[in-house]
Amino acid sequence: MTESTEKVENICDARRRILNIAVSTVLLETGFDAADKVSLETLTEMIQCFITEVGNSARGYCELAGRVEPVLGDVSMALINMGISLQGIEQYAARPSRHIIQPPQQASVPRTPSMLSAGSKAKPAPHIPFHLPPLPDPHAYIRTPTHKQPVTEYEAIREKAATQKRDIERALTKFLSKTSETHNLFNTEDNQVYPLIACKPTFPSYLPALLPTDQVFDFDELEYHFQVANRTEDMPADKKENSDNEGDNGGDNENANNSQSETQDAPLGSSPDRNKSGG
Amino acid sequence: MQMSRMGSPSVGMEDDIGSGHALSDFLLQLENYNPSIPDSVVAYYLNMAGFESQDPRLVRLIALASQKLLSDIANDALQHCKMRTSSQVTQTSKNQKGPKEKKYVMTMDDLVPALQEYGITAKKPHYFV
Repeated sequence: MTESTEKVENICDARRRILNIAVSTVLLETGFDAADKVSLETLTEMIQCFITEVGNSARGYCELAGRVEPVLGDVSMALINMGISLQGIEQYAARPSRHIIQPPQQASVPRTPSMLSAGSKAKPAPHIPFHLPPLPDPHAYIRTPTHKQPVTEYEAIREKAATQKRDIERALTKFLSKTSETHNLFNTEDNQVYPLIACKPTFPSYLPALLPTDQVFDFDELEYHFQVANRTEDMPADKKENSDNEGDNGGDNENANNSQSETQDAPLGSSPDRNKSGG
Repeated sequence: MQMSRMGSPSVGMEDDIGSGHALSDFLLQLENYNPSIPDSVVAYYLNMAGFESQDPRLVRLIALASQKLLSDIANDALQHCKMRTSSQVTQTSKNQKGPKEKKYVMTMDDLVPALQEYGITAKKPHYFV
């Protein structure tokens, strides 16, 4: 706030300074060689008040006559009202010893270059009046998408989904064949041509047939349970070994559910052997 | 001009009308004359008071009037200053330069009585708040 008041004062200061210069010019012309700072300021203040008062008075006379623009008559009435003779002005203008030292006319302040402007401002449409401010930068109200609109055709989407699925499967099988155990198609030494991903059967293999499972209503929930059941980070060390015996591919549904409930209820000291021995 | 007739129904009325006419002629001369105070500054202060004129000659007239007032006050102050320094000159005999070449410095002591004659009282406050 102080900055804004200082700025306003600076704007007034420039005019005050010009008035100071003008007063000094007149004093020089009168014959003074120097002047007190206080008296200079007093005279400047007096001149400023005088101009304001004449303007006020002339405006009053002008409005009294029902006009808006002041005329010479208004100004002369204002001057007469303040006690200034009009004849003296003309004589004063024609005085021979007047200094032609004119205070420099102020040039208009250069406008600060517009920073942070991206692109050129668009021209206003013809229905917009010209006295309104110009349009803002185009990026402020025009939005161009940065990417192409996605294809929404059903056929294209189906095709895309199918290719994605195929690519995913292929990549995943390649990865597994490279990293996990593989079987050979032919009865030769380690053959890299047609590796088969090794099947790891659970032991015993007849157990899923013996233990009936409930109906699976929600496969996502089942998967979630399975993942939570197989989490080994939070479980104590002895349980970790047992849970490692769980199969990777699907395992036992009931086992998964039971073990999950077990871990929730009694993480410390239940009897996991009964449930986990089948793993 | 009718306003001036109504405002001052005295003997000096004709002078006012005459000077009013002269002023309108003078206004034409003002186009070439530039007073010491720039037009923009005077116009700014007039605008602050509510006086907006498209005619720059009116602005120059007001500037000239204020300049004349200033020079009148300055002349009066110079008189006061000369009176004071002449009384000092007669007292001191060491003065080698003539009184014309003496430097005149305007101080508040000269300015205050000059302003008093115009009805402006400029008093310095005894204390600053």
